[in-house]
Amino acid sequence: MQDVSAIDGAGAPRGRAGGFSDWLPGVAGRRRTVADTMLSTFEAWGYGLVATPLIEPLDTVAAGLSPGRQSQLFRFMDADGSLLALVGERTVSVARVVATQLREGPFPLRLCYCGPVLRNQALLGGRRREALQAGCELIGAAGLGADAECVALAAEALERAGLTGVQIDVGHADFLPGLLEGAGLDEPARERVLAALSGRDLVAVEEALELTPVGEAERALLLRFPALRGGRDILDAAAQGLRGERPRRALDDLARLWELLQAHGLGDSVQLDLGAVRDWDYYTGPTFELFSSDLGFPLGAGGRYDSLLGRLGLAKPATGFVLHVDRCCDAVLRRGPVAVAEPPVMLRVSHAPGVEATAITIVRRLREAGRSVVRILEPSDTPARGADLHVCAAGGVRWRAGNDWREAGVDDVVALYAVPTQRSVVRRRVTSTNAGRRL
Amino acid sequence: VSGLCIAIPNGALLDGACALLRAAGIADVRPERFDLGLLVEVGGNRLVKVRPTDVPVYVEMGAADCGIVGKDILWEAHRDGYELLDLRFGECRLVLAAPEGAPLARGEWPPSLRVATKYPHAARRFFDRINVAAELIKLHGSVELAPATGLADAVLDITATGRTLRANRLVEVADAGRSTARLIVNQASLKTRTVAVNSLAAALRRAVDGAAPAEGAA
Repeated sequence: MQDVSAIDGAGAPRGRAGGFSDWLPGVAGRRRTVADTMLSTFEAWGYGLVATPLIEPLDTVAAGLSPGRQSQLFRFMDADGSLLALVGERTVSVARVVATQLREGPFPLRLCYCGPVLRNQALLGGRRREALQAGCELIGAAGLGADAECVALAAEALERAGLTGVQIDVGHADFLPGLLEGAGLDEPARERVLAALSGRDLVAVEEALELTPVGEAERALLLRFPALRGGRDILDAAAQGLRGERPRRALDDLARLWELLQAHGLGDSVQLDLGAVRDWDYYTGPTFELFSSDLGFPLGAGGRYDSLLGRLGLAKPATGFVLHVDRCCDAVLRRGPVAVAEPPVMLRVSHAPGVEATAITIVRRLREAGRSVVRILEPSDTPARGADLHVCAAGGVRWRAGNDWREAGVDDVVALYAVPTQRSVVRRRVTSTNAGRRL
Repeated sequence: VSGLCIAIPNGALLDGACALLRAAGIADVRPERFDLGLLVEVGGNRLVKVRPTDVPVYVEMGAADCGIVGKDILWEAHRDGYELLDLRFGECRLVLAAPEGAPLARGEWPPSLRVATKYPHAARRFFDRINVAAELIKLHGSVELAPATGLADAVLDITATGRTLRANRLVEVADAGRSTARLIVNQASLKTRTVAVNSLAAALRRAVDGAAPAEGAA
């Protein structure tokens, strides 16, 4: 039994800071595979990888975050007294690179990234304070084709990472603000309703509408929208009784986007959500979120943000998305063995006393042949415990065939093990749990 | 309605929550049902009975798809889910109260004010809104004792009938908010279990509009 009284003692400083995770062998490898798969999907679609700093000026970082999230930054002071922060998201960093070093284009510019983001939030909520995010930014393309590309690319990256059956919710940042404007609500009333919507508090939406001078019919109409989700047909239902150009344009956008997403083969996974309001002063057009039924949080999110680059000094339309690699990894692991590439099967090689040089050569050749190899360091006359191969004193190599050992020449053994066979895969499948103990 | 995990609070709202689930035809469940276990399966749904402050935690993390909880708990909770419906039972008010005879009880605001409360977030917003620089003392219960012992000048606490305040010779000075039970939903559950969540919400809305359950007030 463990010494539970340790919680009272001073103890050695061996803890982690709260809200941060260690990733152990096996799981860490799976996480990297998920991230690599996402990045290679991005690159297959022509998105060039950029790397941006973990630390940015506070003003830069804040430009991409809602006020609530701005209060959750790890911040500190630079040598000259200016304020710095650990990045809480990476879209603004990429936008900063584009607005400065890549301002000549060529546009549209397709960029992707993968890196940690930090969030200094209350502990014990079961939430990570450091998270790996992978994302894409498509800058200088105003059309809905660009928005559809981002949705389709995000869905494909998740699917290739092993997350099939993802639900995509598509909304439009301009629909509800336009609707409220068309209904004749003044600025403070609109702000109240939008704040309630973005807080996902539909009771407060109802209360905020009570305080406005809109008529009963319009109130009923407005109250329908926050809950209005569904397929293409909800757009026609929504168009009835609308006033003003803005909400109509948003519905037209969504209709066209719906068609494009059908063409991308996403017909079954897309839902339109007219009540989606996310950070309404940041997004300017279509927005989307990706959900899996086995996780309580979104796997990713994105949308059009046409005004951000202008604030950084380069007026360009832009759209993009971010995938939460750690949450995706959680969902992948929760689903058990899935169709992501297994780590290569590992061989363990021992050797007799006096032939270490031969063993080193054989191990190098096996690694060149694509195998992952551990060399057992202590020499032994017979195959060491757990060994798959044993280099004999005479120079030949013994290899395990089931429960028997056979002997062959070096070249033959290297050729035999150059390609993983079905037999060896079954025998030595590396799973996330036992790999950690073995290494 | 089926296949959802619903978190319901023990304590003052339990009777009302069970009555509403029965009235809505969602689950034929009575409070005694939880005497043998805090997790019961009924009507194709799973119900978990947890502490009121834990309901938003279960729902936010997706351990429960939805939950029934007082608005007063949501004032203090971190929230990422949806607040879908006002269930209109368990009504209580958040009030600022001061001891009888204190200047504050006559409406004379002292230049500095120490306030004991279980609701520091709501209190902060309230005092910011009325531009009063109050020093807050967070307590976990029996807030009404704070003025009598000199711990605080006033309390900001919820009250349904005002009985506890009167018994402790406290006078209401200002109304800071009103709370009723709410239906909250996990963001992913709303998107991926839309049909089940929507029919649950519709059934509850019909039951609430039909006849609000009388019992369950704090």
